[in-house]
Amino acid sequence: MSALIRKIRQYEGWFGAGAGVCIASGLYLGLVTSPPDYYQGEVVRIMYVHVPFAKTALLAYAVLFIGSLWYLWRRDPVVDNMCHAAAGIGAFFTVGGLITGSIWAKPTWNTWWTWDARLTSFAVLLFILIGYLMLRNFIDDAEKRARYAAVFAIVGFVDLPIVYFSVEWWRTLHQPLSVSVRGLSIAPGMLVPLILMSIGFSLLFTYMLMVRTQMLYLQRLLEAKRGRLLSIYVQAE
Amino acid sequence: MKNLYIRWVGILLGGIIIVLLSMWRYYQEVMTIPPEQLLREQPARTVRVQGTVKAGSLMKGKTGGVTFHLIGEKEGIEVRYAGEAPDNVRELSSLVVVGSWDPSTREFTAHQISLRPNYGFVVAAYVISFVPLSLFLFRMERSVALLYNEVKQETVYKEEWQGE
Repeated sequence: MSALIRKIRQYEGWFGAGAGVCIASGLYLGLVTSPPDYYQGEVVRIMYVHVPFAKTALLAYAVLFIGSLWYLWRRDPVVDNMCHAAAGIGAFFTVGGLITGSIWAKPTWNTWWTWDARLTSFAVLLFILIGYLMLRNFIDDAEKRARYAAVFAIVGFVDLPIVYFSVEWWRTLHQPLSVSVRGLSIAPGMLVPLILMSIGFSLLFTYMLMVRTQMLYLQRLLEAKRGRLLSIYVQAE
Repeated sequence: MKNLYIRWVGILLGGIIIVLLSMWRYYQEVMTIPPEQLLREQPARTVRVQGTVKAGSLMKGKTGGVTFHLIGEKEGIEVRYAGEAPDNVRELSSLVVVGSWDPSTREFTAHQISLRPNYGFVVAAYVISFVPLSLFLFRMERSVALLYNEVKQETVYKEEWQGE
C-alpha cells in the first residue's frame, strides 16, 4: 500500500472529529443563539451554510491546482487520485454554494439568479470542474488521462482569483468581503459561528478528500489486482 | 462496518439535537400568530402577531409613537407602538409586532416591530445542503470500508505466488 495512503488512513479520524465538533458548535451558535440581522431578519442564517460551502469550493479548486502541479512534477498516481477526488468534492460544494446562494438571493434581492460578476464566475467554476471530470471519463489511457486533466486544471485556475476578487473589481449586487484588510463588516455575534462553520467545512473537506482519495486508490488497486488475476487465467488457458 | 454505522448513528443523534434546539428557538422567538388567533385565544403573555398595516390607519401620536390597524385575513387589531417607528412601518406593509394584548381596551401594545420572518428559506437552505452532504459522505465512507474488505479478500497475489 502507498505510504501516502497509509498516512491518510492514520490521520483522517482527527480531521473528521475536528470537523464534527466545529460544525456542530457552529450550527448551534448560528441557528440558536446568533441574532437576526437588522435588515435581512432571519434569512441571514443562510450565511452560515452558504459562505462555508462557497469557500470550500474555492479551497477544493486550490487543492486541485496544487495537486495537478505536483502530479506533473512527480507523476505519482496517488496524487492523481487526490486531484480527481478534489474535483468531485469541489463540484459538489460548488453546486451547494450556488443553490444556497440562490435561496438566499430570493428574499434579499428578490430574484433567484442574476448575471452578477461573482455569481457568473462561480458558475464558470462549476463548468470547469464538470469539464475536468468529463475529460477524465473520455480518456482510457491512465497516464495520458492524468496528464491532460492536470493541464486542464492548471489552465482553469485562472477563474479562481476572478471569483474571489470579483466583488472588489466590479460593482456587483453581491456583498463585498465581510473580512478583509479594511476590517470587519460583520457583528461579533455572527462572526463566531461563521468562523466556526468555515473552519469546520475546511476540516470536513480535508477529511472527505482523504476518504475519497482512498476510495479511488482502492478502486484502482482492485482493478489492477483483478486484471492480473485475469491475465494469469488467460496465460493458464 | 459496525464502527461506521455506530459513528453515523451518533452523527444522526447530534443532528436531531440541533434540529430540536432550532425548533425550540423558532417557537420562542420567530413564530407568529395572525390577528384572528390573537382575538380568539386572548393570550396574557407576550406574543408576536403578523399582519398588514391597513391603508389609511397609520397615525402619529401626539406624544410620539404610532398607532395603526393591523389586519389579517378576516379580522384586525389596533396596535400602539410607543417608540420611534422603524422604516418598515408603512401603510400596506406586512410586519410583525411583538407585545401584549389588553382585552379591556382591545388594544395591542407593541414594544418591538420586526420584519416578517421568512424562515422557510433558512430551512430550505440547510436541508438542501446538509442532507445531500451527509448522504455523499456516508456513501463514500461505506464504499471505502467495502473496498478495503474486497481488497483483503482478493487472493490474486497468493494464487500468483502459488502458480510460480
